[in-house]
Amino acid sequence: MTDATIDKVLVSIIGRALKAITDEMSMSMEKTTRSPILCEARDFVTGLYDAQGRMLEQTENLPILSFSLSPVCAHIAERFAGDIHPGDVFFHNDVFTLGNQNNDVAAFKPIFAGDRLVAWAATKGHMADIGGAVRGGYNPNATEVWQEALRIPAVKVYDRGKLRKDVWDLIFSNIRLPIVQEDMRAEIGSCTVGERRLQSLIGKYGIERFEAHKEALFEATRTMMESEIRAIPDGVYHGESKVYYDGRTPGSVYTIRVKITVEDGHITFDYSDTDPQTDGFVNGTYTSSASATILTFLQMVDPNIPHNHGMVAPIDIVIPEGTLLNAAYPAATTFGNHLCPPNADAIIRALTPAVPERVTAGWNQLLCSLSTGQHPAKNDTYVDILFMGLKGGSGATSDCDGYDHIGMIDASGGVLDQDYEMFEQMTPHLLLEHEYLQDSAGPGRHRGGLGVRTRYRVGGEGTQMVTFGDGDVEPAFGLLGGGDGTLNRLELRYPDGEVHCLESKDLVTGVPAGTEYLQLAGGGGGYGPPGERPAEVVHREVMDGLVSVQAARERYGVVVDPETLELDEEATSRLRASSGSR
Amino acid sequence: MTEPSANTTYTIGIDIGGTFTDLFLWSSEGQTGTYKVSSTPQDPSVGVMNALSAVAEDKGLELRDLVATIRTIVHGTTVTTNAVLTRNGAATGLLTTQGVRDALEMRRGIRERQYDNRYQNVEPLVPRRLRRPVKGRIDWRGEEVEPLSRDDVAEAVDVMKSAGVEAVAVCFMNAFADSSHERAAAEVLRSQMPDAYLSISSEVLPTIRFYNRVSTTVLNAYTGPVLRRYLRSLIARLDDAGFGGVLLIMQSNGGVALPEIVEGLPATTLLSGPAAGPRAAVAFAEPLGTRSCLLADMGGTSFDASLVAGGDVALQSEGEIDRLRIAMPMLDIATIGAGGGSIGWIDASGLLRMGPQSAGADPGPACYGRGGEQPTCTDANLVLGYLEPSFFAGGRVELSPERARHAIEAHVAKPLGLDLEDAAAGMYRVINVNMAHGLRQITIKRGLDPREFPLVIAGGAGGLHACTIASELEIPTVLVPRTASILCASGMLLTDLQHDLVRSSVGQLDELQTVAVRVDELVAAGSAQLRREGVSEQDEEHRVALDLRYLKQYHEVTVPVEREWIDHGNLDAIAQAFHAAHDALYGYELSEEGTPLELINVRVRSIGHVEQPELPRIEHGDGDASHACKGKRRAFLPHQGAFGQVGVYDGHALRAGDRIDGPALVERTDTTVFVTSEFAVHVDDHGTCVLERKEPSR
Repeated sequence: MTDATIDKVLVSIIGRALKAITDEMSMSMEKTTRSPILCEARDFVTGLYDAQGRMLEQTENLPILSFSLSPVCAHIAERFAGDIHPGDVFFHNDVFTLGNQNNDVAAFKPIFAGDRLVAWAATKGHMADIGGAVRGGYNPNATEVWQEALRIPAVKVYDRGKLRKDVWDLIFSNIRLPIVQEDMRAEIGSCTVGERRLQSLIGKYGIERFEAHKEALFEATRTMMESEIRAIPDGVYHGESKVYYDGRTPGSVYTIRVKITVEDGHITFDYSDTDPQTDGFVNGTYTSSASATILTFLQMVDPNIPHNHGMVAPIDIVIPEGTLLNAAYPAATTFGNHLCPPNADAIIRALTPAVPERVTAGWNQLLCSLSTGQHPAKNDTYVDILFMGLKGGSGATSDCDGYDHIGMIDASGGVLDQDYEMFEQMTPHLLLEHEYLQDSAGPGRHRGGLGVRTRYRVGGEGTQMVTFGDGDVEPAFGLLGGGDGTLNRLELRYPDGEVHCLESKDLVTGVPAGTEYLQLAGGGGGYGPPGERPAEVVHREVMDGLVSVQAARERYGVVVDPETLELDEEATSRLRASSGSR
Repeated sequence: MTEPSANTTYTIGIDIGGTFTDLFLWSSEGQTGTYKVSSTPQDPSVGVMNALSAVAEDKGLELRDLVATIRTIVHGTTVTTNAVLTRNGAATGLLTTQGVRDALEMRRGIRERQYDNRYQNVEPLVPRRLRRPVKGRIDWRGEEVEPLSRDDVAEAVDVMKSAGVEAVAVCFMNAFADSSHERAAAEVLRSQMPDAYLSISSEVLPTIRFYNRVSTTVLNAYTGPVLRRYLRSLIARLDDAGFGGVLLIMQSNGGVALPEIVEGLPATTLLSGPAAGPRAAVAFAEPLGTRSCLLADMGGTSFDASLVAGGDVALQSEGEIDRLRIAMPMLDIATIGAGGGSIGWIDASGLLRMGPQSAGADPGPACYGRGGEQPTCTDANLVLGYLEPSFFAGGRVELSPERARHAIEAHVAKPLGLDLEDAAAGMYRVINVNMAHGLRQITIKRGLDPREFPLVIAGGAGGLHACTIASELEIPTVLVPRTASILCASGMLLTDLQHDLVRSSVGQLDELQTVAVRVDELVAAGSAQLRREGVSEQDEEHRVALDLRYLKQYHEVTVPVEREWIDHGNLDAIAQAFHAAHDALYGYELSEEGTPLELINVRVRSIGHVEQPELPRIEHGDGDASHACKGKRRAFLPHQGAFGQVGVYDGHALRAGDRIDGPALVERTDTTVFVTSEFAVHVDDHGTCVLERKEPSR
């Protein structure tokens, strides 16, 4: 195929059409699923891949799930080569064949033009349960995969359109909640939407033209990514970050080390010097760690870049097996997605000297709780991930404040809070508070995003809580003179007055009704010296209660009268002058 | 045309857009007229009066004499929309449950552009210092957990008074289940702040989902004083001119209501402008024997797609304005940044894109010669031969082909290494694909196949893209009505009075007595409103629908039900209707599994039917359109990928029954229709261009 036969306009059209299809797949998933983790929080991703599994386009509501679909697709295409037919459906979650996390279960559907396999549709979401020792997953005591989850290596659940009932029953007999079955049906439905639409697109242009223009789309995107990478000075950059507490040994600390090499439009992330894997569940899988790398880097390039194979082609990621970010079989790894925040920190620290205007200060790291129990008034079992409570602030950039209450960098505002009133319908708890957390934002010329404070009164029976995450030891870091954000914190105040501070990887059973749950999600880091932030902006935030009078004075050098809340311009000038540029 | 007699009366539709105020007039003798004047954004009521003056001048009447003969004015307004978009609404305060005052600003923590760290949250309509917390709590069942703190309410009143607040929203947790706290707070506000505009969540939107309710209630408060001021100014001007007829305001749900009713629910007017379009569109499709159609409205900067299915305008139960949630039934509309002014550009990967940036009306496309240098869709259309330089907008704007060519050459052709005409053809194709995407969103989202709907085209720029969009979607029939460029104004005369009432009633659906009581309450409330609007009992209709889901699902399906099913306790009929609706939307249903159903909301749509004028007819011809042929012009034929000679016809000279085989260009003063070679066009009894695909779809 020579360049002359490529119609550049058709390349644009095909690119646009692919995006429309993955968006439609996402809409179908959002409207039909049952677990609030999917239909309220949108913890899922939809995508299309070519016959070899190369990414055509994705809709990435939660990007940390996103960049394992292409490798798994290639794995299935190879493993089932010669036995892939129209109407087949495959399920997969296995982390030792390129899955990212046990709870993230994918459905794949091959797409045919005539009898030729031309593409795949895939949808993957976080299932409310996946078997294993702990309801809802996240077993902090796990030391091997079987204590965490049912492993689903690539299996065919539909063969030429016919349900393999025995296989289906085997899977769902090992999963606690019936809604998981319904949510996997929704995934298949979403793939069917993708299949139909792509077939009609290919039908319109013919398979040969489609193929040629697909390659041209990859090339155009690769060129764009290469030019973005060329904007970073060639060189070798080092960054590191800490991971605190492996869920087994109190006080344990691990280090992520990344070496980033930029050379001639190509970038390599090498994690070879990262610490070895833990013997608990705080371990990455190759694809969860690679997703973390890609999604962090995507925030440093033109956000309009299409998401296809060409985008990832100039990126190499080296993570030796046996390290914290790529644990060897049969390690427990459910925490792996949540190594994204420290991984992102290491990358940001490495690239700050090279491209200070492209990075953010540190983001608040995820610290999350999952509660399960009985809802007596509804005579039902519930599973709730408290998305509203876990979402802290993002780091500021050179010219913008961080985003308030956006949540962890792995979702970047793609997952949503439960609605408060739906929360009170679906769980037996009473929400007491969910508001911005005063003084949580790291100060700076541009401040970090605000964190939130969440409280609820536990109701119902048999309440058990699992926690997972970080950010309770080291706050989101400030950059180039900016200050740090605040720490995460989880507390239970039992009815008898006892206060129990939860660990970042914890399992608490028998939480009595009447216990008050408190969660602080911290703010993001600030960028640039706080003394350069305009006094009137600080003053407005004092009037809004986002910054205290004391913090305005101590962190920003802005003097506000505590009684009248009026700005004292003269005292502010004096204070700012005396403390230099701060 | 017959001359107006002394007894002639008029019905008028007025649609205020960003650039033009459109007026459509219908006389009691069945004559119609269309008028366009410039909009007057500082006080849009001036534009309304100017439009009426234009009519008077045309008819040779004094304004007072014309106004005296007007029976009804139906009015679509963008004042509330603009107040939100430009943040020029009222100084607004919010009273809300202690602990959740930031929900309004958080918007459930979404950042719509995930990878863009410079993308900012939207500014909330109420600043945090005016979002006042009040102690007191109702639980999920509607039971009081903690009494309302009147001290907190009093303190909030003090703060808001000293801040000069003009409008107050009240939204407490679980008020959909029990509104006593909200009512008590409202009482205090009424006595302490008698001049403030009040918006109470349990009155505005008594449904579950706190963020939806607080956002909608605040939007309602924020736009209340603005709409009230505007309507009072308009009514005063009309009164001064001696208007003795009825003024009706277009609502986002596609129905109309009296000014005093929308004053209490201004949030129902946030999509007032485009809401009448679908009703007009289906009126033009009805002669084909269908009550369903797609509407594509292409203006200067945006392309709006909407849908009518089986005579019902497609509504969404919630939408957004400027990223702020509004949970009220409103026209389901997909807006794409594609219009005549959309700019063509080359992205960082070297590929051609069209829009969403637009040159707007000022400076406008390069060919306007008003300083615009970027190549736009209109420039491409000119280069492709679709537009006649001296006949654009009825000759109001003289187009410069030279400037169009220059802009496309410099910004598209050169960077892509294409010749000029191929570059223009590429721009045309890309924007057609973008527009087709808007139509797909509106149909496929609901599980509908766009090929099954005739496509009605509105807006001045739509006619040139109609056939190519239809080809892209394999739609066999396209209609371009005579009033395409002012379709919304004409549609306003075809709308009924309509009020959507809703009440949450959450629980497993195992008996219908409670539901029946709710329905009776809502019907009584709807009847009362229609009675105020002068609708007699035999003209009112109440449609009942239930928002249902399978137990444990999260999203509901709104299922229309017969009132007698509810009165007779016919649970089976309701269940069957739900299973069928679920299957149609999502491809499966669970009747065999026996999954219980859960009710979330009860809905009543109260409709007051109004007498609707018949579409005017045009003279019949002999089927031969050659009398209207003005000559031939060189134009680009997309299917052939080459230029050819295309017949040009005077659209105003065409008679009913005239037929033209594509390719052809049909020119009217306000719009040009490009009939590609895949289509043939005939003119129906009402002057609509009916374009039909010559061979069946692939």
